[in-house]
Amino acid sequence: MSQRVDERSVEDAPPPPGKDRAQYGVCAFLVLVGVAVIVDGLGIPHITSSTDPVGPRAVPVILGVLLLLVAVAYAVDVARGGHGEPEAGEDVDLSQGTDWRTVLLLIGAFVVNAVLIERLGWVISGALLFWGTAFALGNRHYVRNLLIAVTLSLTTFYAFAIGLGVNLPAGVLQGIL
Amino acid sequence: MTVLVGYVPSPEGEAALRAGIDEARRRGEKLLVVNTSRGDAYVDPRFAQEPDLAHVREDLAALGVEFDIRQVLGGGDAAEEIVELAEKLDVSLVVIGLRRRSAVGKLITGSSAQQILLGTDCPVLAVKAAV
Amino acid sequence: MDNLNNLMQGFEDVIAPMNLLLALIGVLVGTAVGVLPGIGPAMTVALLLPVTYGMEPVQAFIMFAGIFYGGMYGGSTTSILLNTPGESSSVVTAIEGNKMAKAGRAAQALATAAIGSFVAGTIGTLLLVLVTPFVVDFAVSLGAPDYFALMLLSFIAVTSVLGASRIRGLISLLLGLTIGLVGIDAVSGQQRLTLGVPQLADGIDVVVVAVGIFAVGEALWVAAHLRRKPVEIIPVGRPWMGKKDWRRSWKPWLRGTAFGFPFGALPAGGAEIPTFLSYATEKRLTKHPEEFGKGAIEGVAGPEAANNASAAGTLVPMLAIGLPTNATAAVMLAAFQSYGIQPGPLLFEREASLVWVLIASLFIGNLMLLLLNLPLAPAWAKLLQIPRPYLYAGILFFASMGAYAVNAQPLDLFLLLTLGLLGFAMRRFGLPVLPLIIGVILGPRAELQGRRSLQLSGGELSGLVGGPVSYAVYAVIVLVLAWPLVRRFAVRPRTTVA
Repeated sequence: MSQRVDERSVEDAPPPPGKDRAQYGVCAFLVLVGVAVIVDGLGIPHITSSTDPVGPRAVPVILGVLLLLVAVAYAVDVARGGHGEPEAGEDVDLSQGTDWRTVLLLIGAFVVNAVLIERLGWVISGALLFWGTAFALGNRHYVRNLLIAVTLSLTTFYAFAIGLGVNLPAGVLQGIL
Repeated sequence: MTVLVGYVPSPEGEAALRAGIDEARRRGEKLLVVNTSRGDAYVDPRFAQEPDLAHVREDLAALGVEFDIRQVLGGGDAAEEIVELAEKLDVSLVVIGLRRRSAVGKLITGSSAQQILLGTDCPVLAVKAAV
Repeated sequence: MDNLNNLMQGFEDVIAPMNLLLALIGVLVGTAVGVLPGIGPAMTVALLLPVTYGMEPVQAFIMFAGIFYGGMYGGSTTSILLNTPGESSSVVTAIEGNKMAKAGRAAQALATAAIGSFVAGTIGTLLLVLVTPFVVDFAVSLGAPDYFALMLLSFIAVTSVLGASRIRGLISLLLGLTIGLVGIDAVSGQQRLTLGVPQLADGIDVVVVAVGIFAVGEALWVAAHLRRKPVEIIPVGRPWMGKKDWRRSWKPWLRGTAFGFPFGALPAGGAEIPTFLSYATEKRLTKHPEEFGKGAIEGVAGPEAANNASAAGTLVPMLAIGLPTNATAAVMLAAFQSYGIQPGPLLFEREASLVWVLIASLFIGNLMLLLLNLPLAPAWAKLLQIPRPYLYAGILFFASMGAYAVNAQPLDLFLLLTLGLLGFAMRRFGLPVLPLIIGVILGPRAELQGRRSLQLSGGELSGLVGGPVSYAVYAVIVLVLAWPLVRRFAVRPRTTVA
């Protein structure tokens, strides 16, 4: 008597790292943002008046400096072994590693929609988006998904764009819908 | 040779299990209990949780049938998995439970039973839940 | 008396068939989305905000009121049936609620949660009606320095009271302030951080930020860590309670409400602390201590009431001062702003009818929830069978639609993706998202109030301190900042002696 659980398409979890070094990447990102904010802030003409003795430069410069300070403090915290708990959730299984393939496919579907939305219109690009994300997330019912995707994008177009006056482009289907 | 039962924690599934046990004993063969879930929904009532499996295991052990329980997670549909297993293993009979379905339901999702009936090479025994 | 008349007027407006229908849609959508794993009330409002752009503000807010309470209710259903709370505020409900469900008392757990939510929501909304005018009177007397101090307090509170790590809260806040900085400076007309992109001159829309961080970030994060194994769900019948359950529930409901409302109204008070307080109180006062940890009905009734009352409480500072204290209130504030309405003391004068319609629809939505959800609980539980690919594809679909609809420009979709990746990274590194949203929303206003204060003093920093309120607020800020030090010194001697 035995029981076996076959788990497919699930990679083995990497061993938990002793120290989360990727956090130094966050420090670098903060430094980058901080410098960018300061540089941009200093590039603004220093205009002050009696109604505005501070001018538009002060806040970006202060904010940039704070970002740099926090980046340093964070680096110290990380060096001392500090780490944030990745967010858990109802649908999140942190025992597995990050599934980058799915994330990249999702980003792809997203970009396709952003590029095509004005040319092809929401009905087509939105349907592609739904279909693509469902595919990325592992659903393989291609035909059924296409039906759902088209129904969804048509319904939203009629309900929101035509019914409620929300801004959604008709694109190439202008005049047909 | 093995008798394969498609098991679901429901009256149909239980009926299939009973029929499978009878067949396995009559033929003197091993029983393979298969439960599958695509694992893509948060909740899947067709996925047998531990208490269900414990009761299956208990029943089978009490009856003295030689058996094996296999759960397939995150694969294809139940029908695909069963057809595939029936092909791969040395299966003499597939036992499945049928449930009553509305015409609309059949139209939307198709029928797993039909897929299994048409897809397997070995005989298929389809049983209904006791009313 | 005046307010009562206003409220009656509000009810009259809501009773119109079209508006009742909208309230119903709001309640249904809010609950449905609240039941679904991974989607909280804040994300729900953010996702649905853009589709209301074509509506009258009044109608939009009638719907939001339904979503607001509906989302809360849906969350508790999930935590009782599945033992996996979606939000930190339903953690306590899950402790006893799921135990009750496992012991075959799911119907009673759901019933006490639903009725308790109704009781707390109704009392909370009544308190909102009673308390808000006083807060408004107080807020009218506040000057720019006082506002600046209050916003500073919000920043400090949201970074240091909530969450495990101050430094991570601070990082999130600063990133939010940076995002809030993008666009034309309201005072001088200078472009800041726009990188020469003309579409950025108006700043990054708060809706895009909220949808990106909450919805897209969450969807990407979940997609990267999909749970493959279905969890066990407890079958539900129609919720109901016996006489004994009523007797054991009504006091916890009232006590929970008393805990929840004031905490909701405090900056960064939130719902977590009052639900835990309520749980602890019920555990001490109960006549059935042996049931706690095994499914005590008091342990569901109290925290659930606290949770809903705190939701009502968050509306007080949001409406009266324009200070959001939790994520949902922050998104609601963004909703007001997107209609060109600035919450704060003047709101009650300028947009009186809107405010009272909102409050009246909170009452109505609450009642609808009670009537609908008792019979519908089994149907809601079925929603959990939706395959995840459809669920998250749907979220991304509506997120993109909403983000595009804000300004009708594809650039917003790229911004949405960028912010979604930021949200993903924040979840990965355990950075809380609430400070970022608060920073985006309050940052520009804090700058405005700060500069206004300094204008009065001719640029002297002393201008930031003015009026008794700002003194008091700065005192609180110092207290909050010094608290860990104080605690360390207060606790250490005891531990060394022991």
